[in-house]
Amino acid sequence: MISRRLSTILILGSVAMLATAQVWLSHIRYELSLETSRVQKEQNELKREMHQLNLELASLTRPERLRKIAQTELGMAPPLPIQVVRP
Amino acid sequence: MSRFAKDQQDRVFIRRRLEAVAGLVAVGFLLLTIRAVDLHWLQADELQAMADRQHFRQFESVAPRGPIVDTHGRTLSESIEVPSIAAIAREVPKADVTKLADALGITEKRLTKKLSRNKGFVWLARQVSPATAEKVMALNVEGVRQESEWRRFHPLGPEIGHLLGFVGIDGDGLEGVERNFNDKLSGTPGIRLVQRDARGHSLPGGSWLKQPAMGKTVQLSLDSTIQSIAYAALADGIRQQNAKGGSVVVMRPKDGAIVAMANWPGFNPNSFGKHKPGEWRNRVITDVFEPGSTLKPFTIAAALDSGKWKPESRVFCEDGKYQVANHTIHDDHQEGWLDLTGLISRSSNIGIAKVALDIGSERLYNMLAEVGFERRSGIGLSGESPGIIPPIGRWGPVETANIAFGQGIAVTPLQLATAFCVLANGGNYVAPKLLAEQPASQPRRVMPAKTAQTIITMLEAATGPNGTGGKAVPAGYRVAGKTGTAQKPSADGSYEDDKFTAVFAGIAPADNPELVVIVVIDEPQESIYGGQVAAPVFRNIVATALPYLGISPNQSGASEWQLLNTSLSNSSELVSRHSLIRLSLREARSIASARGFQLRTHGTGWISRQEPSSLDSVVSGDLVEVWLNE
Repeated sequence: MISRRLSTILILGSVAMLATAQVWLSHIRYELSLETSRVQKEQNELKREMHQLNLELASLTRPERLRKIAQTELGMAPPLPIQVVRP
Repeated sequence: MSRFAKDQQDRVFIRRRLEAVAGLVAVGFLLLTIRAVDLHWLQADELQAMADRQHFRQFESVAPRGPIVDTHGRTLSESIEVPSIAAIAREVPKADVTKLADALGITEKRLTKKLSRNKGFVWLARQVSPATAEKVMALNVEGVRQESEWRRFHPLGPEIGHLLGFVGIDGDGLEGVERNFNDKLSGTPGIRLVQRDARGHSLPGGSWLKQPAMGKTVQLSLDSTIQSIAYAALADGIRQQNAKGGSVVVMRPKDGAIVAMANWPGFNPNSFGKHKPGEWRNRVITDVFEPGSTLKPFTIAAALDSGKWKPESRVFCEDGKYQVANHTIHDDHQEGWLDLTGLISRSSNIGIAKVALDIGSERLYNMLAEVGFERRSGIGLSGESPGIIPPIGRWGPVETANIAFGQGIAVTPLQLATAFCVLANGGNYVAPKLLAEQPASQPRRVMPAKTAQTIITMLEAATGPNGTGGKAVPAGYRVAGKTGTAQKPSADGSYEDDKFTAVFAGIAPADNPELVVIVVIDEPQESIYGGQVAAPVFRNIVATALPYLGISPNQSGASEWQLLNTSLSNSSELVSRHSLIRLSLREARSIASARGFQLRTHGTGWISRQEPSSLDSVVSGDLVEVWLNE
């Protein structure tokens, strides 16, 4: 009689535990999905930023701009051949 | 009524009620069963599809276009995501049109026209600045939304616009490299299937129906620094000559790599809509011109190849006037007897014509065809011209004589560069190439190495003190090159009296060729001669490009160079002087450094003589010679 009651309790307990675990897992799953979308969004943002920075770098280092800065702001001039000793 | 009868009646009533309720329940169950069969069986497919549409969502993931980079990996074209403003036209309230137009920076009339074009989705402004998008979205107008699109940017702008071309608003390459390598550059958009919960959040475990792939990188053999040097030198030369336009192509002869390819006026691919379609053309490959005297080296090569002529063979140049059939050939300078080197350095049309007539049209034709003048080079850009060489059957003595000195034949700057690469490569033809990864084509021998070397020696003489190309030589380097001046053909088949093309084709350094540079100046006004107009542009390019490439100047004549390791003062009083006479070498160097001209010195002490006599007309890159006395 006791063992029958015990097994009923055990079964009910297991069912309750599994049900709780299931709820917990689905919660984790949900949290993870939110995290995944956030990280994916961040990844896309970073990719976008990388493209922009690439372009910015290319614009800032374009030879014509560097030449102008070297000549007007830094007072530099192209080396004359006699100034090129070991290029 | 008796009590029994009443009870009986109540019982019947209750039973009927129960029966009625049971009947209703049965009917209800029946209806539910019918509905269940209807939903689960008859409408199952349709409803399942509806549910899927709610649970699953497909996202298109746009893949950006691949970048174009130069040989050192520097960005030449790059795509970035920019906002665009769209609307569902029927949802936009009429009252908001004015403020919306104002935020978009367009007229109300134009916006109304856009909104009336279609009741559904319409673009209001594509690829706008983030600030504009923010302004529009802050208005919170019903039906208006922000979308993302990829926009192509070319950071070098007009310097390289003709070569790179541009991309249309829908992301397809429409001109130049962008068009011809569109398949490689274009990204493949991906499609992702995502399951959503009741609140619309994505659930994990989505799957790619199609993986997105970013477009591939196209790496050109071009060097953006040399491209910029070439463009700046060309623009300077054209401004000084008040010319109509011009082109430059720089090639590395060893592997045929195109290092720079510039046209002037430039074309800015970032705002291609502001230019006329004719200005998009990459004239280095699409436009032909008569090469004039720059073709003479190939006539001489054909003569040397024939075995009938030696470098020291002499020709009488008829004192400047020579009759071929019914046609008279003139020389700019009257010449008597000249050897083959003299023909090149003095650029005698008559002498070259006589040589060509002696070897015959077929040998000349074969040489021109072998070095690449009658076919497209195949660098992979569309619109390339094959040039114009008349069919050999139509070459009479007049045609042979004319073609020998570059008249009656038309070539592209790229073809001329490829032909000069043959000379630089010791007689081997190497096809030009535009992509860095592309292996160099198998060299094909088209003239003996000895012939090519002899021609280079002759071309070096042509840039020497007695040649026409003296202005092409940067101090410290040896250069082999040929000037050319050609009248432009007119629409009626004759020649324009006052329109010329000035050309310089050169190889630098002459002793170990690293670069072949072709400069073509269209309709110069101040002078018409290649030696005056195009040669200085060539010099300015190689004088900057060779040190950049790590090629040392020739120091063998070190005594000529009074190498001083002094600190250069930069006094403005000195800098504005018209003459260097009576100055010390140190002061002269200081002025040369500040004004950017080159200084060649002889002797020691104080400057007593200079050439040119005044510094007023000296521009950056020119050579000034000074003689010093104790």
